[in-house]
Amino acid sequence: MFKYIRLETKNIAYLFPFIVILLSACSNSTDNTAVDEEILLKEWDSYKENASESEVSIFMWGGDEGINAYMDEFVSPELKEKHNITLNRVAMDTNEILQKLMNEKRANQEEGTIDIIWINGENFLNAKENDLLFGPFTEVLPNYQEYVDTESLDILYDFGTEVEGLEAPWGSVQFVFQYDSAKVSDPPKSFEELSTWVKENPGKFVYPEPSDFTGNAFLQHLLYDQIGGPDKLLENGFDEEFVTNNTDGMWEYLRDIEPFLWRDGETYPASLTELDRLYSQGEIWMTMGYNEARAESFINDGTFPESTKSFVLDSGSIGNTHFLAIPYNSPNKEGALVAINELLSPEAQMTKYDTTYWGESMGIDPEKLSNDNKEKLAAMERGGSVLPANELNEAFLPEVDTQYGGWIREKWLNEVVQTD
Amino acid sequence: MKNRHYSFLFSIIGLLVFFPVAFLIVTSFALQWTWPQILPTEWSTIGWNALIEEPKLFLALRTSIGIGAIVVFINLAIGFPAAKVLAFQSFKGKSFIEAFLLMPILIPGLAVAMGLHLTMIRIGVADHWAGVALVHLVPTIPYTIKIFRSGFERVGSFYELQALSLGASQKEVFTSIYLPQLITSIRSATFLIFVISLSQYALTAIIGGGNVVTLAMIYFPYLSSVNNAVIASFSLLFAGIPLLFILIIEIVIRMFIPYRSLTNTQQ
Repeated sequence: MFKYIRLETKNIAYLFPFIVILLSACSNSTDNTAVDEEILLKEWDSYKENASESEVSIFMWGGDEGINAYMDEFVSPELKEKHNITLNRVAMDTNEILQKLMNEKRANQEEGTIDIIWINGENFLNAKENDLLFGPFTEVLPNYQEYVDTESLDILYDFGTEVEGLEAPWGSVQFVFQYDSAKVSDPPKSFEELSTWVKENPGKFVYPEPSDFTGNAFLQHLLYDQIGGPDKLLENGFDEEFVTNNTDGMWEYLRDIEPFLWRDGETYPASLTELDRLYSQGEIWMTMGYNEARAESFINDGTFPESTKSFVLDSGSIGNTHFLAIPYNSPNKEGALVAINELLSPEAQMTKYDTTYWGESMGIDPEKLSNDNKEKLAAMERGGSVLPANELNEAFLPEVDTQYGGWIREKWLNEVVQTD
Repeated sequence: MKNRHYSFLFSIIGLLVFFPVAFLIVTSFALQWTWPQILPTEWSTIGWNALIEEPKLFLALRTSIGIGAIVVFINLAIGFPAAKVLAFQSFKGKSFIEAFLLMPILIPGLAVAMGLHLTMIRIGVADHWAGVALVHLVPTIPYTIKIFRSGFERVGSFYELQALSLGASQKEVFTSIYLPQLITSIRSATFLIFVISLSQYALTAIIGGGNVVTLAMIYFPYLSSVNNAVIASFSLLFAGIPLLFILIIEIVIRMFIPYRSLTNTQQ
């Protein structure tokens, strides 16, 4: 105790080394790849045998009642009945999941608590770079082999990061705008028309700030528009000089519409949730977001007006795929494989496609379904607010390197916020 | 005259408390409630259905209350002696110790959690309720010590000195002097600790690793839901639990603490 007396005034500063030591107390984990490889060499039937009567924990974002209901009311009983697997759904933000895994990696914990995580984009890049994932495992899944379009770019790449079999595609979503057709008769078809519309209807439009995923996607689309499509960005990876030199018009556009945005552009919603609330309260007349069918469940539970419809701009609609992965220290890897395979089955995917629960596009290729299922799929009603499949397919634009997201975030603060 | 001032003050406070609660209750049953309607145009029980259909709700309630009770108990056990020393004794390095004890609320919880997570994995209490209860001590102990310290300073050490000089044992000093005199501090500390423990999301998520499902683990993800009714119903439940807990504590206090009439007049 007395040793510390002299530290009185600086006591807080003196504690930082301890924290740093704690945080950086990392050492490489022992090599368990041999065991992993052994698992992957087994026959599929042996997984099923070993997985029976086991518990599989899936950790996933839990902020959507529709998605939760899909997991609890459809997937969970299905796994129980078919494979005698008990599914344990744990709601946690992906950031925290990765944080937990990273700590476990540092502490050499070989047996964790997570069997499956729901992941994509920047989080996947982080997980891959830090060796947090088990695999490559997708090749051993029968349903992946049979139903997934394994050549497709949005399955081989996740926001510009090579997937390399470390995650299996669960579904895909496209960015669409929603509008209230009772108030907006003719939605804009280009960014130019959007600007005109915003000026004619001051206060009725806003986009979330780009630190939000959705706000960032909106600006990314504007960026594509500005430089004539995503191809140039895809070819070169992240090229800061190129975008900095060629995007003056984009920021000019944003500054131009700012005074006509909600609350005169003085503040922007911090998240998609806030944007959706403004829309549901009728304060603004348009909202936006990934998942072309996202409005359906909101309309069904009365959050959005029934007159809600959606539109995409002529220049396209950004889409991405989200995936399922297995952490390196999953205590039940074989169970996880069986469960993921089940989640990729036509039945599970088509139920997910149905707007009763979730309503998003399938991770598997509709072309590879049996004729029976193709017919069923064609007969499914996605609801009045969802655009026809061919229109969405034509509009599809790929994601580019995740670093562009960070660039947009920073640049927006300088170019739009600080110039007021 | 003085009374009238008080009743005016009370009605202001009453309104400030009543309105948010009433607003929450109405929101939890509202289906559509857009500006400028004063009351919702459509009602439904969707908000409460989502709550009741949550499969882990009962488990989470049990875990939350259990962990909360343990955290309260450990807090009282640690906070009581620590606060007494800080209140009555002076020694070299006291201000350092004081600052040190306040550290956990000055450093961001997530930074603390990450460091502690490594340690907890090594000693084997990560992903277990014991680890979660331990980590909940981090954001609660500082408050407990603060509360008890001012309690001890209010009471002073004279009763204790007198009792000791009359031949009382330490145990008697504790049960018949400090316990009844500090009952208000116990009440406020218990309530505060319980509420803090209940609302820990990040610490619980990382240390509990999803194996320990508390109410916050279920409730926080719903905060990003657009459906206000769901959030409102969860919030009401969230607010109700500490009240229930404090009611139980109150009953325990009434049953076990001596000199009840004295403590009542002292408030």
